[in-house]
Amino acid sequence: MAEVLNRTAAQRQPTWNTRGLNSATEQVGNWFLNPNWNNSMDQSDPFESALSSMVSSPAAASNVPVSGENVMMRELIGKLGNICNSGDASCYSTPLNSPPRLNLSMVNLPNQSTLAPFSADPGFADRAARLSCFSTGGNFGGLNDPLMDSFKLSGNQSVNVNGTQSNQNSPMAGNSGSDKKNTGVSRSSSPENAESGVSKEESSVSQQIPSRNDAGTRKRKSIPRGKAKETPSPAAADDKVASENDESNSKRSKRDGAPAGNGNAKATNDGDEKRSKENSKPPEPPKDYIHVRARRGQATDSHSLAERVRREKISERMKFLQDLVPGCNKVIGKAVMLDEIINYVQSLQRQVEFLSMKLATVNPRMDVNMEALLSKMFQSRGLLPQGIYSMDSSAQAFPFGYQPQQGLPLNNGIPNITETQFSMKTQGFQLPSINGFTDANPQVGSVWEDDLQSIVQMGFGQNQPQSYQGSITTGQVKIEL
Amino acid sequence: MDSQLLNPTSLKSRFTTRFLRALTKINAPNPISSSSPTPREIFQRYRRIKVAADKSMAYSVRSRTTWSRATLSRLRTRSRHRRLASFGPRSSVTTAAVLEKASSHGKENEGGLVVQAGELRELVPGGETMDLCNLLDETAHYIKCLTTQVQVMKTIANLYSLE
Repeated sequence: MAEVLNRTAAQRQPTWNTRGLNSATEQVGNWFLNPNWNNSMDQSDPFESALSSMVSSPAAASNVPVSGENVMMRELIGKLGNICNSGDASCYSTPLNSPPRLNLSMVNLPNQSTLAPFSADPGFADRAARLSCFSTGGNFGGLNDPLMDSFKLSGNQSVNVNGTQSNQNSPMAGNSGSDKKNTGVSRSSSPENAESGVSKEESSVSQQIPSRNDAGTRKRKSIPRGKAKETPSPAAADDKVASENDESNSKRSKRDGAPAGNGNAKATNDGDEKRSKENSKPPEPPKDYIHVRARRGQATDSHSLAERVRREKISERMKFLQDLVPGCNKVIGKAVMLDEIINYVQSLQRQVEFLSMKLATVNPRMDVNMEALLSKMFQSRGLLPQGIYSMDSSAQAFPFGYQPQQGLPLNNGIPNITETQFSMKTQGFQLPSINGFTDANPQVGSVWEDDLQSIVQMGFGQNQPQSYQGSITTGQVKIEL
Repeated sequence: MDSQLLNPTSLKSRFTTRFLRALTKINAPNPISSSSPTPREIFQRYRRIKVAADKSMAYSVRSRTTWSRATLSRLRTRSRHRRLASFGPRSSVTTAAVLEKASSHGKENEGGLVVQAGELRELVPGGETMDLCNLLDETAHYIKCLTTQVQVMKTIANLYSLE
């Protein structure tokens, strides 16, 4: 990104170098004399017009057009003054030093609320935020009024507020000839230029922040809309958890979600809600993280956050299992519920074993047709011919809920035999399994009844199954197709 | 409930189809319903039916869940064991080693539920290698499939027994 910015800056540089400077100098002269810099701007230059519009909007937005900016401006200008004094290196040489980019940042810094117009460029906002951070960082010394005025206008190279690399901007600022400042201002008048300016500025800023790398990068990622006040506190907070990506992400997401102006309250940890996704994405969001908002009063290091996420996932699944397993509603507590789940799974497995044993013992006395019929029944959605009325008797012979009870005595003897004669290769196949089967009947009985009913209806036509209490027709059932 | 059965792609119908086919295959060798099949025969049939039930259920689920995959692989190795009886002990040793290795990782954060989680892992096929979170997912799906299995088998058993 820095490279892109440099490139764009380099591209733009010649433009304003040739054009802007010259015109700017003239304008600066006029402007310097004129306290009302808005009017003094020569509108011919697109930069200037844009800049004036930009500047005016913040000015308009803020009730204190001058004083509001003054604070920030003063600091910046103070810094600028230092820079100016350092020397007159040609700032134009470095692409990062283009005034336009400086302008924009300066103009925007004083007014946090007026960042809206510039929020179009997320990168810009980040830079602005960083700049504002710098400004509040107190890097700036005193301020001279004249300097401040020029500074206000130009907004320019004051970016080098850091003063670390004042060389680049010093010539610009250094000219008490607000010439260059003006040029900077004029340059950045157009929003696009402003953005590019900001972009260039960011690169310069990034260069100027060798020491504050962590905070800087974090901030760069963090706030799309630069909130001047917020950045210092999150910066401080971030420093505490410097290595925590998740933490920064959570803060980031919190900050992103907060509307402009609410920043301070929310800047520190505790959001009201826990968000698992990032809202507005910073330019380079790490995509492989699940972003979690830390709750109020809870630890916010990455480990506990991950732990919390896991715990909630587990309790979510436990709730789901609670619905699946009958009789789990009264139970509260993970351990007991897990015990219930284990018991239920065991009983289900035993039921399957028992049923397979039952199927093995019950010799199908029916013809193969029956099975073909059944398979056909389940495969096709169509109904079988109505001619199979003889099956109605068997259909009616399914007394729901009653059937299993009837079925059991038939096979009761056999399981006993099997139990004694078979080696207990299959675990769980014990006599209690029969009880388990019976016990489980009420559970699935209702469901099974309906299924059975539907099976019968489906396979044998739309016959009204009638509950058939009493003997089961075990006679020959002939299927007439 | 009607819609469930009528839906040809539901788990229940898929399982039923497969299971019935397997059942007919198993019952086919009995040309005549012998009066009293020997217990041994019954036991053999029982085993085959049980395997068929598990297999058809696992196939109905395809490989979407860990437990179905584990069941299928277990069934395949078992069949292989039966055919190559001599290799039985060896493969069992290797599987045990694999299980040990697999079970060591991914099982933190169970808190006070280690015992129950361990039991659940024994019950759910393929549960040894999962952490609690996934284990609960698998358990939910496994329970759902087991209940389906029980339902269908009950129905079929009753249909059979009515004859």
